[in-house]
Amino acid sequence: MLEHLGEKLVFKFGESNVLGLDITTLIMSWAVMALIIAFAWWLRRGLDQDLEDKPSGRLIILEWIMDLLDEQFANAFENDTIKVELYSFISTLFIFITVSNWISIVPGFTSPTQDFNIPLSFALLVFLMSHYYGMRINGTGKYIKSFGKPYVFMAPINLISEVAKPLSHSFRLFGNVFGGAVLITVLTAKLIPILLPAFFQGFYGLFIGAIQALVFALLAVSYINVAVEG
Amino acid sequence: MELSAGIVTAAKYLAAGFAMGVGSIGAAYGEGQVASHALDGMARQPEMEPVLLRTMIIGQAITESTGIYSLIVAIMLLMVV
Repeated sequence: MLEHLGEKLVFKFGESNVLGLDITTLIMSWAVMALIIAFAWWLRRGLDQDLEDKPSGRLIILEWIMDLLDEQFANAFENDTIKVELYSFISTLFIFITVSNWISIVPGFTSPTQDFNIPLSFALLVFLMSHYYGMRINGTGKYIKSFGKPYVFMAPINLISEVAKPLSHSFRLFGNVFGGAVLITVLTAKLIPILLPAFFQGFYGLFIGAIQALVFALLAVSYINVAVEG
Repeated sequence: MELSAGIVTAAKYLAAGFAMGVGSIGAAYGEGQVASHALDGMARQPEMEPVLLRTMIIGQAITESTGIYSLIVAIMLLMVV
C-alpha cells in the first residue's frame, strides 16, 4: 500500500512531461458529476404532484438543500447584481467540492480534489471572475486605479497579494484533503487496519470535507466582494 | 547506505517533523483565538450567531493557511527532496 503512495496513472502525450492526462482524477470527477446529475434527476422526478397533496420526501430534501444554500451564500454577497448572477455558480462550486470530498469514504474511490490541478483550476476560475466582475461593475479605469489605494507606491504590494489569493485558496483545499488522505493511508498501512481508519475517514472525509467546501465557496464570495468594492 | 546519504535522510525526516510540529503552533493558537472571541460575541448577542459563525469559519480558514503551508513544505521535504 505504501509502496504506491503518490504514484498515479497518467496518460502522456508523447515524450514531454508537461502534457498529460491524469486518468484517476478524470474518472473520479466524472463519477462525482454523474452522481450529482443522477441525484438532481431523482429529486426532480419526485416534484410532480398536486399543490394540495402533502409534500413528498424528495421535496423536503430539496427544500432543505436550498435553505442551506440560501442561508450560507445568499446574504454573503454585498452587491445585488453579483448576487443574482453568481449565486448558482457559488452553489455549484460548493456542491461539487462537497461531493468530491465525500466520495473518498467509498472504498476504492479517491477525491478528485486530492489532485492539485482541480483546486487550482477552481481557484483560477474564481480569480478571473472576480477581476471580470470588478471591471464590469466599477468600470475598467476605476478598477485599475483601485490597485493604487491607499498610496500609489503600494501598488506592487497589492499586486502580489492579488497573485497570492488563488495560490492560498487552492492550497488550502488541496492541503486539507490530501493531508487527510495521507494520514488515513499511513494509519491503515502502518498502525491499525481496523475500526480506527473508519473513524478517521468519517472525520476527514465527511466533516473536514464539508467544512472545507463551505470555506472554499465563502472565500470565493469574499474575494469577489473585495474586487467589486474596488 | 553511505554516511552522507544517511545524514541527508535523517535531516530530511527531522526537517519535515519540525516543519509540521513548529508550523502548526501558530495556526492552532490563532484558530483558538478566533473561536474564543466568536464565542464571546455569540454569548453576548445570540441573534447574531449565523453571521458570526460564517465570519468565524472564514477567519479560521485564513488563519489555517500557514499551517497548510507547513504541511505542504513537510510533504515536499519527504517526497520531493
